[in-house]
Amino acid sequence: MVKFFTKRILCLLLVVWIVSVLAFVMMRLAPGDAAVMALPDYASEEQIALMRTKLGLDKPYITQYFMYLGGLFRGDFGTSVLYERPCLDVIMERLPATLSVTVVCSAMVLLISIPLGIIAGVNKGGPVDFFAVLFALLGQSMSVVWICVLLLLLCSVRHNWLPSMGYEGLRDIRYLIMPAIAMGYKMCAGMVRMGRSGMIDVLDEDYITCAYARGMSPWAVNCKYAFKNSIIPVITIFGMDVASMLAGAVIIETTFTIPGIGSMLVKAVSNRDYPLTQSTLVVTAAMFAIVNLVVDIVNALIDRRMKLN
Amino acid sequence: MKPKILLRRMLRSPQFLIGFLIVTTVVLISVFADRLAPMDENLNHIVNRFTPPQGLGAMAGGYVLGTDELGRDILSRVLIGSKISLTIAFVSTLLVAVTGTFLGVIAGYFGGVVDDIVMRATEVTMAIPSMTLGIVIMAIFGPSISNLVLVMVITSWKSFAKVSRNQVMVMRNREFVQASRALGGSGWHIMLTQIMPNVTTPLLIQLSGTFGGIILTEAGLSYLYLGVQLPDPSWGNMIAGGRTYLAAYPWMVIVPGMALMITVLGFNFLGDGLRDILDPKQSR
Repeated sequence: MVKFFTKRILCLLLVVWIVSVLAFVMMRLAPGDAAVMALPDYASEEQIALMRTKLGLDKPYITQYFMYLGGLFRGDFGTSVLYERPCLDVIMERLPATLSVTVVCSAMVLLISIPLGIIAGVNKGGPVDFFAVLFALLGQSMSVVWICVLLLLLCSVRHNWLPSMGYEGLRDIRYLIMPAIAMGYKMCAGMVRMGRSGMIDVLDEDYITCAYARGMSPWAVNCKYAFKNSIIPVITIFGMDVASMLAGAVIIETTFTIPGIGSMLVKAVSNRDYPLTQSTLVVTAAMFAIVNLVVDIVNALIDRRMKLN
Repeated sequence: MKPKILLRRMLRSPQFLIGFLIVTTVVLISVFADRLAPMDENLNHIVNRFTPPQGLGAMAGGYVLGTDELGRDILSRVLIGSKISLTIAFVSTLLVAVTGTFLGVIAGYFGGVVDDIVMRATEVTMAIPSMTLGIVIMAIFGPSISNLVLVMVITSWKSFAKVSRNQVMVMRNREFVQASRALGGSGWHIMLTQIMPNVTTPLLIQLSGTFGGIILTEAGLSYLYLGVQLPDPSWGNMIAGGRTYLAAYPWMVIVPGMALMITVLGFNFLGDGLRDILDPKQSR
């Protein structure tokens, strides 16, 4: 167990490190001089040269990389050109908005997709199953953009049910409902499909037949044996989706004007704020690593059979 | 599989039939988009702007699906947009399939270090969500079609790599591969002529889903004006343009949105149908 997790953690650290290298290389490949970008248009040659020294751009790439890596270890991600503040502060300030959408959305997705997937799998071929398959297929075929627009049309334009944009934190949840549905539908679709097919697979297994043979009721078999084993792939994709939500659902945040990480990223890249872009990529990868680890732990707790290697 | 059995299964699968019908129609429309479009997609009649859809009765000279904020014909823009979107998706899917399969096959065949490298690489691409990476690449290196294709390849190759790797791992130790090795077949010979033909089925199924996914990613990037650039129409940037006028002129958004949904639905149906037909054991 300990060995398995040490290996996983090392692997994930490796992934984060590679992303940091790639982010560094990408920002150096980007056209334009970072020193010129950081200064106003009227800056003189000397000022630019001074800025280059300040940003460390006059040193060889290798030295620059180690300076950047050293900074990462100290929690210093560089200074945002756009906001003129440490990048990490800017990201942390944006995190609550993204986090609250993620929380509302995850709650909604878990409440809907798991029961629906399981019920559909148990009643394969029945009306619930048909509905679930249709629901999932539609969800996987709709662009997030399109879902956003349809929601706006229905809930804000036709009926005045929900506010069309803005963000009030978790105090006023009405602002989060549409973003959460828009983001969650696709997730739900994937999870319903996964849960359904997992359930169908598991119900074919011998130990289920055996449980019936011992006279257990279908309800007990489904809840006690089948559910536990069919839920693992669902949790895995749920984790991946949550990780990508934490990176900022860009389309949703820009459409509903939520001050989260996604809308910040768009602002950062369109203003050529390379330090902030670079740090966003690294933070994203780190969040992915953490979420993945949590998923592994949860799966190991659910399924004791898992050989953890 | 015998062609006769294949055909019978095809005709029995409603998903496949619906998907096939939609996909064929959409592909034909996009191929002949230039001739089908009733007007120049960028021709604007500012006087006629925000004309509501006039229906099929307006075929000659009218605006069947209405006009946008510059008085451009929405039908023509949707048609030309389909050509642009499908071309990008086609080229990207092809490159994704080739790159992903190649890396997956060598990872599965050689195992060891090669496998480790390829698998770590899939994890790295998974660590950055495709939209995030897409935005960064498109914004920094400029929103061109070739960069758009690059984004798709980087974000989508991993599913092909994983599927083909797992298949190759299963095939690698089968008798016919061992026989080929015993007869002195080289690694590449075995990979290309012995293993590859046996791993194509799941890849074919993957292909259809990837195609739909790429169309969706392109629409998302174009919606942020980081994909297909104006004045070229794309379903994504048409939705973005119409969003401002959503309350008063909803058709500007509904028409491209429907086109997008139907197309992707078609590809997803086709993918599921193919799974039913080619791989009944896996079909769920």
